[in-house]
Amino acid sequence: MSEQNILEVKDLTKHFKAGKKQIVHAVDGISFTLQRGKTLGLVGESGCGKSTCARTIIRMYDPTAGQIVLDGTDITAMKQKELKPYRKKMQMIFQDPYASLNARMTVRDIIAEPLMAHNLVKSKEEANDLVYPMLERVGLTKEHANRYAHEFSGGQRQRVGIARALILEPQLVICDEPISALDVSIQAQVINLLKDFQEEKGLSYLFIAHDLSMVRYVSDDVGVMYLGQLVEMSEADEIYRNPLHPYTKGLLGSVPIANPKLARQKEKSSIEGDIPSPINPPSGCRFHTRCPYAVPECSRVKPELVDVGGGHKVACHLHK
Amino acid sequence: MENKWEMLGSSNEDREKIWSKNRTFAGDVWFRFRHKPTSIAGLVIIVLLMLFALLGPMFTDYSYSTQNLEVVNIPPRMKVYETPDGSGYLYVTQALKVVQVSRDGIMGNQLKKVREEADSSMTIFDCSGTEVALYYGAKPYVIADPQTRVIYPSAHVWNKSYVLGTDSLGRDILTRLMYGTRVSLMVAFVAAAVNMIIGILFGGISGYAGGMVDTVMMRIVDIISTIPLTLYVILIMVFLESGLQSIIIALGTVYWVDMARVVRGQVLSLKQQEFVMAARTIGSSTRTILLQHLIPNAMGSILVTVTMLIPSAIFMEAFLGYLGIGLKPPLASLGTMCNDATENLRSCPHQMFIPALVICLIMFAFNFVGDGLRDALDPKLKK
Ligand SMILES: Nc1ncnc2c1ncn2[C@@H]1O[C@H](COP(=O)(O)OP(=O)(O)OP(=O)(O)O)[C@@H](O)[C@H]1O
Ligand code: SF4
Ligand SMILES: [Mg+2]
Repeated sequence: MSEQNILEVKDLTKHFKAGKKQIVHAVDGISFTLQRGKTLGLVGESGCGKSTCARTIIRMYDPTAGQIVLDGTDITAMKQKELKPYRKKMQMIFQDPYASLNARMTVRDIIAEPLMAHNLVKSKEEANDLVYPMLERVGLTKEHANRYAHEFSGGQRQRVGIARALILEPQLVICDEPISALDVSIQAQVINLLKDFQEEKGLSYLFIAHDLSMVRYVSDDVGVMYLGQLVEMSEADEIYRNPLHPYTKGLLGSVPIANPKLARQKEKSSIEGDIPSPINPPSGCRFHTRCPYAVPECSRVKPELVDVGGGHKVACHLHK
Repeated sequence: MENKWEMLGSSNEDREKIWSKNRTFAGDVWFRFRHKPTSIAGLVIIVLLMLFALLGPMFTDYSYSTQNLEVVNIPPRMKVYETPDGSGYLYVTQALKVVQVSRDGIMGNQLKKVREEADSSMTIFDCSGTEVALYYGAKPYVIADPQTRVIYPSAHVWNKSYVLGTDSLGRDILTRLMYGTRVSLMVAFVAAAVNMIIGILFGGISGYAGGMVDTVMMRIVDIISTIPLTLYVILIMVFLESGLQSIIIALGTVYWVDMARVVRGQVLSLKQQEFVMAARTIGSSTRTILLQHLIPNAMGSILVTVTMLIPSAIFMEAFLGYLGIGLKPPLASLGTMCNDATENLRSCPHQMFIPALVICLIMFAFNFVGDGLRDALDPKLKK
């Protein structure tokens, strides 16, 4: 275990029960490490288990199997009470800025809630001393403090969400598609705000998105998820320059490219068909039902995530 | 790096101006509520009825139990005959007594009986020196001059002494109505409050705990709700002594089932929402999550359910009173007043009509308010 790693996830698995006998394999054996001060981007289609992965790591859900090591401490099996001190180290920014703020609370109370929960302040006044600077820091003003969340625009709400996540000065922040619900013009502002905080405080981010170009901009490493599993993982620029997994290639094929010359050069590969149900995931390589390069072995043997050189890991029988 | 936010910073003040009003959630609800005439009408009626019930008794000369057997069953509008000298009126009571009534309808003393003339079906009374005859040979009884047998001119006047008349024991109906409304409202509010507390606790725990606990608790609710509530209340009333407390206990322990269901449903759906999840990841305690996140967000539906529950409690109390297993006499409630009035429904229908009307008014008012609240709490209708 390295001192450098703020988060280590080993074989993390989360299954949900659906009905009597059916099991949703939302997350199935994911492993990665996140270094202090770095950003790990997690991309994948809708429904591939990104949010479930994030929520299991932050222990909103109890993991079915695997291990979560936060800052050197194994938090996998901790009860909610034992977990409380560790919650200060790890916070989350949510996808939906409307659903993630309580509409019956003022912005001040929302941002002060973590302080109150951890008994870091004794009175409201004391909380205000921390809340007001934080509000300014995320681009809101003191005057906004007494307003209710439902009076704000999406971008402003997301700033409130960021303020709430950061007021405890956590070391790890999990961002579950923090910008996908926002206008394009506001997305960049919020991303820049997050980057500024990272520089200032040395934060680590687990950044979930399905917008690949944004992930490249913010991430040091990128992991690609398909149907609850990691299929490729590498340093961010490397994965864009040299995607190895057919699924990653397909994903990149659907990224709009500004330079038409580059676009033409690019290997044209798009993914056909729908994502299979996580209730009965395909055998062997889970991507074989849609993979243009599939060989018979693919439907029988599950490819392991292996390092093909320079820390570029891929799970595909074509690359060993 | 700070410059990035300058652009927004400069527009902030403008935005403050555009947001002219800083409305809280409650303010918002009130704004929508008062723009609906029926809900405001309901609210006004409730306030007026409460004033009537609480302050009214200060302004009457009677108490709810004062009996005056000489003036039983007097209507609010009396048929009267002029006195021989034309200075006032005379009113014939059911007991064949004659009472003086002033020109503007205030009831005075009884006339003294002089003699009985049974063969001509007349009773002779002394009206300030002059003799007047009450002829009871045929209905309606009339007052006439005993010599000439000419009926004195008749008239109708509003009763000023007993504005709504008296009941069969000679008690002032207006006064009893005030006390009755007071009892009804009190029973309703206390029962509603008890139901609300039990319902919120039961439903909240059931919804929040989920799983087995939820299943068991909801089966209990299902079982309770299959028993006809009326029967259940009547049984409780039979076991307990009749009286105000018993009614409140009976009603308070019955109607929480609906409330529990509503609260549970709300909590179940709310606890899946991201802001509750967020509270958990923050590390907030269960207490904070329940009291700050779940209950306030469920408060809208809780309020609507309570306002809808009040009329059924009022009706149930009236119904019990009407069946005669409610309050002990001489205490008045709207239901017991209706019950008392059934005996002489034919001759004095107003005795039944007046308390029944008040019951209707209260129920209408609360239903209107409940409807208005429901609409006002629906943010989709936001103006
Ligand atoms: N609480 C739950 N109970 C049962 N199944 C669930 C639950 N939460 C998620 N799932 C299922 O797990 C799978 C992964 O869902 P998840 O929300 O993690 O996807 P996602 O990658 O975050 O998608 P999106 O990009 O749309 O947010 C989905 O098939 C979903 O239906
Ligand atoms: S293992 Fe086979 S099916 Fe899976 S991605 Fe590679 S080639 Fe395609
Ligand atoms: Mg998601």
